[in-house]
Amino acid sequence: MNQLIFIAKKEIKVAIRERLVISLGAIIILLLGVALYAGYISYRQQQQIITQTQIEKRQEWLNQGDKHPHIAAHYGTFVFKPKTILSLFDFGLDAYTGTSVYLEAHHQHEFMFRPAQDHSSMIRFGELSAALVLQVLVPLLIIFLAFASFTRERESGTLKLLMSQGTSFNTLTWGKILAYAVMLAVILLPFLLGLVLLSVSHMSYDVIPDITVRVAMLVLIYGLYLCFFIAFSVWVSLRSGSGRNALLTLLTCWIFFAILLPKTVANLSESFYSLPSMREFKAQIDETKRNGLDGKTPRSVRMANLKKEYLEKYGVDSVQQLPFNFEGVSMQAGEEFGDQVYDYHLNNLREIFHKQNQLGSIASLFNPYLAVQHLSMALSGTDIHTFIHFEEEVERYRRELVRKMNQDMAENSKYGEFYGYKAGSDLWGEIEDFSYRAPTAWQLLSYYKLELISLMLWMALTMVLLHVANRKMKPIHE
Amino acid sequence: MNRQILTLIRYEWKTFVRNKFQLLLLVITFLFGLYAIYYGQSEINAQRETINAVTALETKEFSQYKGSFTTEMENQTQEQTHDIASRPEYAWYRHGYHAILPPHDYAPLAIGQRDLFRYYYRLTGTSLHYQLFENELANPVNLLAGNFDLSFLLVYLFPLLIIAFCYGLFSSEKESGTLALLQIQAVSIRKIMLVRLAFYFVLITGLAIFISLLGLCLSGNPFTEENMLPAIAWVIGTTLYCAFWFGLLFLIISFKKGSAFNAISAAGCWLLLLIVVPAVLNVIVTVKYPLSSATLAGLTRRTGLENEDDEEESKEVIMEFLAHMPELTGSDSLMKNNMLPKAYAAFTTLKDINSQQEVDHYNDKVAKRNQWTSQFLWLSPAVNMQEILAHITQTDLNTFLDFQNALADFHEEITDFYFTRLFWDRPILLEDYEQLPVFEMSEDLNRGNIIWFGLGKILIAAGLVFLVGFFRMRKGVKQ
Repeated sequence: MNQLIFIAKKEIKVAIRERLVISLGAIIILLLGVALYAGYISYRQQQQIITQTQIEKRQEWLNQGDKHPHIAAHYGTFVFKPKTILSLFDFGLDAYTGTSVYLEAHHQHEFMFRPAQDHSSMIRFGELSAALVLQVLVPLLIIFLAFASFTRERESGTLKLLMSQGTSFNTLTWGKILAYAVMLAVILLPFLLGLVLLSVSHMSYDVIPDITVRVAMLVLIYGLYLCFFIAFSVWVSLRSGSGRNALLTLLTCWIFFAILLPKTVANLSESFYSLPSMREFKAQIDETKRNGLDGKTPRSVRMANLKKEYLEKYGVDSVQQLPFNFEGVSMQAGEEFGDQVYDYHLNNLREIFHKQNQLGSIASLFNPYLAVQHLSMALSGTDIHTFIHFEEEVERYRRELVRKMNQDMAENSKYGEFYGYKAGSDLWGEIEDFSYRAPTAWQLLSYYKLELISLMLWMALTMVLLHVANRKMKPIHE
Repeated sequence: MNRQILTLIRYEWKTFVRNKFQLLLLVITFLFGLYAIYYGQSEINAQRETINAVTALETKEFSQYKGSFTTEMENQTQEQTHDIASRPEYAWYRHGYHAILPPHDYAPLAIGQRDLFRYYYRLTGTSLHYQLFENELANPVNLLAGNFDLSFLLVYLFPLLIIAFCYGLFSSEKESGTLALLQIQAVSIRKIMLVRLAFYFVLITGLAIFISLLGLCLSGNPFTEENMLPAIAWVIGTTLYCAFWFGLLFLIISFKKGSAFNAISAAGCWLLLLIVVPAVLNVIVTVKYPLSSATLAGLTRRTGLENEDDEEESKEVIMEFLAHMPELTGSDSLMKNNMLPKAYAAFTTLKDINSQQEVDHYNDKVAKRNQWTSQFLWLSPAVNMQEILAHITQTDLNTFLDFQNALADFHEEITDFYFTRLFWDRPILLEDYEQLPVFEMSEDLNRGNIIWFGLGKILIAAGLVFLVGFFRMRKGVKQ
């Protein structure tokens, strides 16, 4: 044990002597600081505008004056995608998902405005976030730190000396790993404190229900990822003939993991499962609405059936004799049919998204970077599943709003007198303001089983490799 | 060329051919190049198909309208079609025109922002802002990952290839002990290094240009008028960008340190120029020019007259509108015929006029951001190169901003066409179909400047690193 700590201490001393490594470490601390600060400012700016606009839209809805409920349902309202506090850590998809949506009767509007559209093509190089630093840059720092861990000892002949002192490969390896882990921990500690402080201070009013669990999970997952990189780098160094080879091998792996594979996988998924254009998507919906889900029941037939059903049910001859306004009922029936059609086509579309993203999940088994990227977005509430959940909640809210308007119309207005009836602020107030709660971390992680397995597997694999290498190694053998 | 140089080149060629790993790297890069060209084309072809489909729809729509003038009316549907075709009170919000931004022939080589922005719109005479902000369907996960197109290969991967070939040019001599042998030769070390670098420059830049030419020829005919200059700019850009990286490696080599140091510094530079600088710039611009589309969202609300039965309200709206459009006043039947459609036309136009300021304000902010970023392009030749390639293939932000502006003009043309007929109570005639509004977008005159200035910046950067390296290299070598 003493030996282990002794080795770790020596390793830290050597590393501190290297100017390059020290400056890289300093750059990383600086970048993390900038990332956290800028992330926080941007979070506050966006959150403020969103909250403010949401309040404005709410007031517009409440103070829209007296009007027919169906006109109110068309007047509608807006919902804006809230920022989660953890988005200051990982922007995730925030720049590429739409941010606002218009809710009205009959139409499911798509989310408008992707923030990346307000940037030049430089945005495709990525935005500086703490997650980017931890996923891409810190592994590189680890590589620079650790690539020579064994090759230097071997090249300068100290490995033989160490062995002759009775040090085992096992102790040496773990001593080195411990040293790098400690150095990283020291570099990352201030950042970690900052993150925890920021997120805890915003806990009460954030859309994420379980910030503590998420922060803990983030720490755990990044810990695992970085430890994997340390162990892997040390293993490569152990197996390499020269420092140059070790460095090249590690850099190649890094480029493959962090630069090449993510793009290739995304592009392949796009080629395998292609998306329809918005025009096609809309045309399909219109087509189904016109001819029914079975393709042979047009709107007129559906309406006639509905009318017949109601007339028979209430035993009357005409819709005017019904105890409520049939227009409200038929409006709601049309709405529900429209929803059904939309759901059908949206599910088909989501299925394509899902297949595309599934390919990414499978690829994460071969690439720990992808695994961490996905998990980090999920825990920060900036991933695709949180977004889909948000979309669903918004659509549920829209349907409830339209249903209430139609119901009011059926109960209170007379058949054929569209402008005769006006509802007022009492009815508008019955619609609660939209508020969003993201799913819990556990619910989200159930979508990311492959990613979790991937991290475990890579960690286990490296442990096995290290174990085998430690046993087989002979210092005399160059 | 003297004998020494020939000897050096011959030696370099021999070592190069013997190194299977390096050959493999080149082959892999070439294959990646083929994939990048294929992928870019498949993406853009999908867009072309969509464009063809929407154009076909529009042609069909309008040929139905035109046909309704000459066919006998037999049923209700035909009568309806003819009403929509000839009566401006229906036509102004029913006739849909497509404004299309067709991809440049070379768009597959640098997809740029083309996957992010809409490239086609169907516009009717109703509120422009109601029609403007819908997005194209896209998987955000894939948008984030970006495109593996030829520009990615050139900007990201070729520098790595250059690093892999050149980081050990000096240090390996030192490490294998042959440096002393070289130093006793009549040729200076600097010259040897220069010849070796030049050898790999020809080799790798040659590969880059070869792949580029392949892409340029496969994606379009480079000898047509609109392709010629872009193709030339592309090849020059590729050469300059490679030259910059060779210059940078020459500078790193001139420190005469070990292989590991060279590799770390080169990888560090790559990281700085391709990841750190753009990421930092992006986050600064986000914070410095905060933009929230939330303010624009409200413009898309579909609103209408308070009460369609209230004639007074309709009149008021029409009068307010006519104050903006005096040329539409003067018809005797102004307030008699088609009051409601006129009121609605007036209403949506007024709404657009009122919200235009907000949209302009927003677009100004986007332009400011763009301007601010372009000031710092010299910080990273890689980002600069990416922007240049996007400009060459017309997939840059400016193109899309211009497109948005052209849309507004086109919408005005459409409303002019229908509103003169609506407000003067004139039917749409068959011969009017010969003068329908047509979407046009003027050529961005600044594009050439941006491209050539950008290339100039890369040239300067390349020259700078090379010169510093050149003078450093002259100093003696410590043993």
